[in-house]
Amino acid sequence: MKKLLHLFAPLALVLLTIGLGAVVTLGGISFFLPSPDVRSLAWIYLKTTFNTTFSISPLAPEAVTAIVWDYRGLDTLFETSVMFLAIVGALMVFRGLSEELLMQHKVGEGGLSLIVKTVTRITIVMITAVGASLALHGHLTPGGGFQGGATIAVAPMIMITTFSLYFLAKKLAIKKAILFRSIGLAVIAITAYLVLVTALVGGGYAYIFQNQAKVGSPYSVPSYIGDGIVLGGTLILFNVAETLAVAFGFVALFILISIPEVLAKEVVSKGEE
Amino acid sequence: MNAPIIFLFNVVILSMIVNIGLSLYGVFIRPSLIKKIIALTIFSDTINLLAILIGFRYATPNPLPPILTTIPPSPKDIEIFVSKAVDPVPQALVLTAIVIGLAVTLFLIFVTIQIYRIYGTTDVRKIAKLRG
Repeated sequence: MKKLLHLFAPLALVLLTIGLGAVVTLGGISFFLPSPDVRSLAWIYLKTTFNTTFSISPLAPEAVTAIVWDYRGLDTLFETSVMFLAIVGALMVFRGLSEELLMQHKVGEGGLSLIVKTVTRITIVMITAVGASLALHGHLTPGGGFQGGATIAVAPMIMITTFSLYFLAKKLAIKKAILFRSIGLAVIAITAYLVLVTALVGGGYAYIFQNQAKVGSPYSVPSYIGDGIVLGGTLILFNVAETLAVAFGFVALFILISIPEVLAKEVVSKGEE
Repeated sequence: MNAPIIFLFNVVILSMIVNIGLSLYGVFIRPSLIKKIIALTIFSDTINLLAILIGFRYATPNPLPPILTTIPPSPKDIEIFVSKAVDPVPQALVLTAIVIGLAVTLFLIFVTIQIYRIYGTTDVRKIAKLRG
C-alpha cells in the first residue's frame, strides 16, 4: 500500500502540474514571459561594463563579475562575511576534534585499490586546474572566485574518499587550511582599501572599493596590459583571494566532517571542564 | 508569442510553485533534521532558479551571455551587446547565494551531527522533550 502511494504521489504531482499548465494556457493566461527588454538597472550595467566613454566603467568584459566585485562590491563583502561566520560557527561546534585527530598519527595502507588511487591522482590535478582557470579567468569568462573555490574544494573530498583522512590530514592540517582561508580574507580586506591608500599617499582621495578612476579621483588599478591582455583591475585580486577563502574554508569543514565517529564520540563524551 | 512557448513557461513556473510547496512541507512537517535540511536546499535551489528565470530575456535569434567578446569593444559591439545580452544582476546574486548556501548548509549539518552525537536522535519531537 505504502509502495503504491510512493509511486503514485510523484506521478500525480507531475500530471497535475502539466495538466494545470495546459488548462491555464488554453484559458489564455501566461504567468511569465521573458520580455525583449532588460530592466533599466541591467541596461546601465551592460552599457557601462566595458565602455571607455563612461567614467563609472569597471573596464571588465564580464558583466557578472563586474557587478559582484565592482558595482556591488560591498554587497559581496558582506556575503563573504556570512560565509566566514558560517565556517567559524561550524569550527566552533566541532572544537577540540582536530588536535585529537593529529595526535593519533595512524598512517596505514588504508583506502581503495591501486587503480582508483592512480586515477584519483590524475583527476585531482585536473580538478584543481579547472578550478584555478575558473578563478583566474573570472573577469573574462563565466566563473570567479566563488565557483573556482567550490570546485577546488572537491579535490580534497575525493582524496579523503580514495586514500584516507589520515593521508590528507598529514598533508594539510586543519589549522593550515584555516590559515590559508584567513590569508584570503585578509587580501580581500586589503584590496578593498588598495586604491584609497594609494590615493592618500599620493595626496588625493578615492572611494572604498574603488577599481577604476572615478569623477574627481584619477587613481586606478591597471585594467589591461598592451592590447589584448585584460586584467580587470582589482577584480582578479578579489577573485584569487576569494578562491583561497572559499576553497580552504570548505576543506577545513570537509576534514572535520569526515572524522571517524568513534574518535568524535570520545571527545564529545569527555566534555569540557 | 505562440501557444507552445507560453505552455512551456507556464509548466516551468507551476513546477517551481509545486517544488516550493513540497520543500516547505518537508521543512515544516518532516520530523528528521536531516530531511529538513534536504528540503531547505531544494527550497533555496528553486528560488535561485526562479531568480535566473526572471533575468532571462527574449531576443532573436538567441540571447547572449552577459560577456563582451571583443576587446576593446567598438560602439557597435556595445550596441549589439546591450540589445541582446541577458540580465546579469540575478546571475550575480545567485552565484554568491549558491556558495553561501553551501556554507550555511554545512553549518546546519555540523549542528545536526553534534545533536546526534550528544542526544542520539535527530527527531525534533524527541529533542524538544529533552531537559538539561
